[in-house]
Amino acid sequence: MTLTQRRVLILVIVMIVAAVLGRLAVRAVMNLLLGGTLLGGNFL
Amino acid sequence: MWGFIYMGAFIASFIISAILKMTVDPFGGKYVTHWDSTVGTVYTDLSYGDGEANRFDLYVPADSGREHYGLVIYLHAGGFTSGDKSGDAEMLQWLCAKGYVAAGINYTLFSEENPQANVYTQSVEIRDSIPSVIAEAEKLGYHIDEMAVAGGSAGHALAMLYAYRDAEVSPVPVKMVFGAVGPSCFYLEDWINMGVDPDHPQPVDPDTDYSGVAGLFYAMSGKEITADMFATGEYLERVKDISAAMWIDENSVPTVCAYGAWDRVQAFGASRRLDAALTEHHVPHEYIVFPHSGHGLQNDNKLYGVYMEKVTEYLETYMPIDCP
Repeated sequence: MTLTQRRVLILVIVMIVAAVLGRLAVRAVMNLLLGGTLLGGNFL
Repeated sequence: MWGFIYMGAFIASFIISAILKMTVDPFGGKYVTHWDSTVGTVYTDLSYGDGEANRFDLYVPADSGREHYGLVIYLHAGGFTSGDKSGDAEMLQWLCAKGYVAAGINYTLFSEENPQANVYTQSVEIRDSIPSVIAEAEKLGYHIDEMAVAGGSAGHALAMLYAYRDAEVSPVPVKMVFGAVGPSCFYLEDWINMGVDPDHPQPVDPDTDYSGVAGLFYAMSGKEITADMFATGEYLERVKDISAAMWIDENSVPTVCAYGAWDRVQAFGASRRLDAALTEHHVPHEYIVFPHSGHGLQNDNKLYGVYMEKVTEYLETYMPIDCP
């Protein structure tokens, strides 16, 4: 794997983690206001 | 440089994903109606009383050739203190597109300007509005011969009060009620456990001062309720007029309802009493619990789909469209 390929792979992983955390953050705020669990149901 | 790229990508992905979570319809527009004159016509802010809030919107289907129509009332949410019928336009359009005459009704909200308003006075306004709604539909050429009543949250509570407590005085037979997350009764042991693990509720502690709950029940019922009434159960008679579940009997109408198990806005335990009362009196009903959700039913999209399918099924069963 070249250095560029490695950097792109890290970039993709960072974007996926950020996307999951973004959705979880909305869910956490909604749960705080309305009630609910952080996990389970429509996780994403 | 790559450090900045990673950071920028993280922030952009985080924000975009959060926005998509908040804005994308998980049902892909299945329950959204493309509203135009081929579907129906809406008449807004029609009056049913002297109060400033005594207004309703009436949605009538484009097909005006049938001999009679079912009316579906949908009452707005807002904790009895806010909200407006316009917030339910999507639901009312969906109902109208199915062939029903649909109406969203406003009621006087509890506020600094209207400190006398409470759940009971609001339920009376809704009860008194129905003849005007039907008369307006008749005036437009839509003969109403049956109705359903529904709502969300506070509107669901008011819908249930009309269906279980006031159906006998309705100008046309009430055939069913549906709605989500509406408080159905007011027992202390339910309301001290809002938002906690539904399988491990805390018992009532005789040494704890429940004045806050008493104040809430007082404000909602409009009848004086003090903390010392909890020990004797005296408060239950005072909240009966706003406790729809306490009016259920064998003549009560078929019901579809949905509740979030972790609701921290209204008491989930009250919904279990609603289910128990409907079961005890053999009333056809669907009680759908969203095990990961709270008041917004926000974490169980599949179950929301089930809820809407059950609403559709009950409408087709108990309010069938009479095709010409």
